[in-house]
Amino acid sequence: MKVYTIFLYKTFLIKSVLILLLSLSLDLKSQRVLTVGGTNWTVTVPPITEAGSNYTGTYESATNQVLLGASVPLLLGNGKVSVQYQANPTWNSNLVLSARRTGNGTTPCVGCSITGGTSYITVPLATDIELFRITAVVALASYSNIPVQLQLSGVSVAIPAATYNSLLVFTIAAP
Amino acid sequence: MYCKTILSISLIVSFKILAQSTGNRSVAVTLPVVTLMDIEPAGAISLNYTTPTEAGNAVTVPTSNTTKWVNYTSAIASGGITRRITASINQVLPGIDIKILAAAASGSGGGTLGTPAAQITLTTTARTIISGIGGAFTGNGINNGHRLTISLTTNTYANLSARTNTPVVITYTITE
Repeated sequence: MKVYTIFLYKTFLIKSVLILLLSLSLDLKSQRVLTVGGTNWTVTVPPITEAGSNYTGTYESATNQVLLGASVPLLLGNGKVSVQYQANPTWNSNLVLSARRTGNGTTPCVGCSITGGTSYITVPLATDIELFRITAVVALASYSNIPVQLQLSGVSVAIPAATYNSLLVFTIAAP
Repeated sequence: MYCKTILSISLIVSFKILAQSTGNRSVAVTLPVVTLMDIEPAGAISLNYTTPTEAGNAVTVPTSNTTKWVNYTSAIASGGITRRITASINQVLPGIDIKILAAAASGSGGGTLGTPAAQITLTTTARTIISGIGGAFTGNGINNGHRLTISLTTNTYANLSARTNTPVVITYTITE
């Protein structure tokens, strides 16, 4: 009786381990993880004080306005971080949003790499555009606190006076 | 045993729920209503009749002044009323018409700039010299905006009288 119980226990143990491994493998296959930190950006536009003048037109956020965390499992090799914007609810198409990566963040992974996105790219409306790419070499590529700076251009008195809001949506996916 | 299996599956599901591949941050900007106008360069101008040198001739009307420019910056809400610029004087001189004409905008401006009116004779009642100003800026300083031509004409010679340094103030106003 005792032998039979031990046999059952071992069978359960093996099955559980198999299920766990299977689940992990499924996770590794399907999951690149992105976290978005930092703070929302409220653009400060200095008032116009001289008749005839327009706004400077281009404004930049702090260099670490957005802090991204990204991880790519070794089995997947690499991941592409993209960005798009969405009106929330009102935006003006003459207001141009751009983003750039201002640093590499931190990673415990030796040999992993992060590339691209160090110059401003124009963020399109509702269409992803690649910002940068992460590559895993011998281990899980996990980066944290990747700093991203934002830029707003096209600000002009020719745009109707109003408050405009948008969402910058960051996504990690297969390249 | 079933309970443990269910627990394992729950654990797997929780792993998947915790994983995320997207996130966002917001961007907000407020563009206020702006209404600014000035005349460049600052300072007074002189328009002097000149004495005839030949008996029997009329006094000579001064040459028009074209040194002044109207600069403005205007930002209006969507669907808002456009702006206009009016001009008036503080006093009418007997026998003399003071006239003003704004030219089409030129220089480094942009947006929905105003449309000049035809030449008008200034009175103590404000009259429109430029209209239809939307979201626009003219550029700053001379050679930007609307050049003004200010001139004098004699309307009734009999009403002219000798005077010295009579200041006439032209008031410009930007309004809806």
